[in-house]
Amino acid sequence: MRILKLYLQPLWNARLLLIYSFLAGFAILILAPFLMISLRSVGKGWFGKLWFPPELTLQWFQSAIDIGNIPEVLRNTAIIAAIAVAISTAIGILSGWAFGRRHLPGKEMLMAIILLPRMIPPITYALGVAKIFYGLDLVNTYLGVGLAHVSLCAPYAILVLSSTFEALDERVLEAATVCGANTLKSFFYVILPMILPGILASMIFTFTTSYNEFTLTLMTYGPDTVTMAVRTYLAIGEGYVEITSAMAVILVVPSLVILAMIQGGIQPEKLIGGFKGV
Amino acid sequence: MSDIMIEFRNLTKRYGTLLANDHVNLQIKRGELMTLLGPSGCGKTTALRGLTGYVRPDEGQILIDDKDVTNLPTYQRQLGMVFQNFALFPHMTVWDNVRFPLMIRGVSKKDSEAQVREALQLIRLEGLSDRYPRQLSGGQQQRVGLARALVYRPNVLLLDEPLSNLDAKLREEMRFEIRDLQRRLGITAIYVTHDQQEALALSDRVAIMKSGHLEQVGTPEEIYEYPRSKFVADFIGLSDFIPATVEGFDARTARISVAGVALNAPAVEGLSRGQKILLFIRPNDVELVTSESGENILPGVVHQTTYLGDRMDYRVQIADGVNARVQTASGHRYAQGDRVHLHLPVERCRLIQEE
Repeated sequence: MRILKLYLQPLWNARLLLIYSFLAGFAILILAPFLMISLRSVGKGWFGKLWFPPELTLQWFQSAIDIGNIPEVLRNTAIIAAIAVAISTAIGILSGWAFGRRHLPGKEMLMAIILLPRMIPPITYALGVAKIFYGLDLVNTYLGVGLAHVSLCAPYAILVLSSTFEALDERVLEAATVCGANTLKSFFYVILPMILPGILASMIFTFTTSYNEFTLTLMTYGPDTVTMAVRTYLAIGEGYVEITSAMAVILVVPSLVILAMIQGGIQPEKLIGGFKGV
Repeated sequence: MSDIMIEFRNLTKRYGTLLANDHVNLQIKRGELMTLLGPSGCGKTTALRGLTGYVRPDEGQILIDDKDVTNLPTYQRQLGMVFQNFALFPHMTVWDNVRFPLMIRGVSKKDSEAQVREALQLIRLEGLSDRYPRQLSGGQQQRVGLARALVYRPNVLLLDEPLSNLDAKLREEMRFEIRDLQRRLGITAIYVTHDQQEALALSDRVAIMKSGHLEQVGTPEEIYEYPRSKFVADFIGLSDFIPATVEGFDARTARISVAGVALNAPAVEGLSRGQKILLFIRPNDVELVTSESGENILPGVVHQTTYLGDRMDYRVQIADGVNARVQTASGHRYAQGDRVHLHLPVERCRLIQEE
């Protein structure tokens, strides 16, 4: 036993090293593809077995913007995301109120149905949505693509805002009413400021969901409603690997900005000069 | 202008089969502080919520200043309310919290300044007006709650267990502060609590509630000295009930026997010879005496002694299954097993029907 311990001791001492090597390997696994794409988007003459591009350039980004029509594509993406965020947030506020503040019969059942689009394979769901939207002439419209995104965004909004409303102190609302505020004034002066952090969190979630969404967009887009994700996908078929890489890098920027904001401790409630619960 | 500020008329509220308020009739005078006192679930909070309009009564009416407000929405009732958990607006500073009722009523920032300042002065928190509620202690938060309730001089001040979330020392301090404030402003107030000491210390009158109905309404003294039921006697202060039998009575005095010993007590209504009744007395009214003769002397044996600092608590066995409790500050210490004589002063004895 003592001998065993003697032999294992160095290994035990090396456990930190082991843990860090494992983490480093994991990080490489996650970051490698991203690094690859980034290098590709700025590399020139990078062929064969070279470890690093021989020449760096920004011309692929210029080409992507010119050929890929990126400004218009980004505008489409923003409009569609805005529609998805607006509708989802509205749905989220109303359902969140109902789920969080009322005793609903069959609450669990309703929740399950709402979460369904997130549970079934996206392509199955997208095929169904496409069939309906062709019938309604919603394909290739901002509203159509936005609505398709709502089916994936709204569950997030509902979940986030349900817990936000659940955390609202009933007595504080009662205090507002006794102080003389009618329903409308209570909402604007008391409820809204108190749920604003939740609304902001829900908007960030729904925005990234809509912005990143590919499958549903692919089944409902048209020439006038190409989004960034779909445009990147189409570029693969066009055959210019460097330009496609440049688009992929542009595609990822907003998500990184949001991630950096969250990681940097910029909490949504701080953005609006608010508070942190009672 | 009538003398009555608030009136509950036959207020009734059911939750399913539970009768939360059972035909409650109560009048509260202008400028009076009335306490609704009772154990949890007795309906005191339901009655208060009926007054604010947060609970719609199934039957009956509520009048404020002779005006039927039963169907008036909460925000039109011109009330000020203080909550157990303070219920301040977490996203507003102390100043904005206190200004809220004025802002809602459309008073401009400039015009409301003097009133907010005055309200903050009332509660001695002028220096903290820029703080947020989460930066204040519990006692400070509750003071802000008071200022917010009083700032626009409402008709009625409602206090829903306002001191329950504070520690014992602060609770006692704030009692006097609230009482003083209510007196100075002459505002009519309803105070809901389950703490009988708080009720006695604060109130002009106390209404004791039990399972949805009013058990007794009276001044703290009346409630303490002349409880009308075992429930009230038991709920307020220390109390001891000794089973007795009525031997005879006239208009003033009843003769009863406790474990074969004859005693006298002031007569009450509804007595009959041979009736089983409870002799109610406060343990601190009972005296331990040396003489065996005299009026209302009960012999017994000390069964248990408890040291309480300023006084001693004795459980004295009178007979098999009949015990009496004595609390006394007097010098001589008795030990377990000592034979003692209890003097129950006639004027301190009350006869109460068994429930």
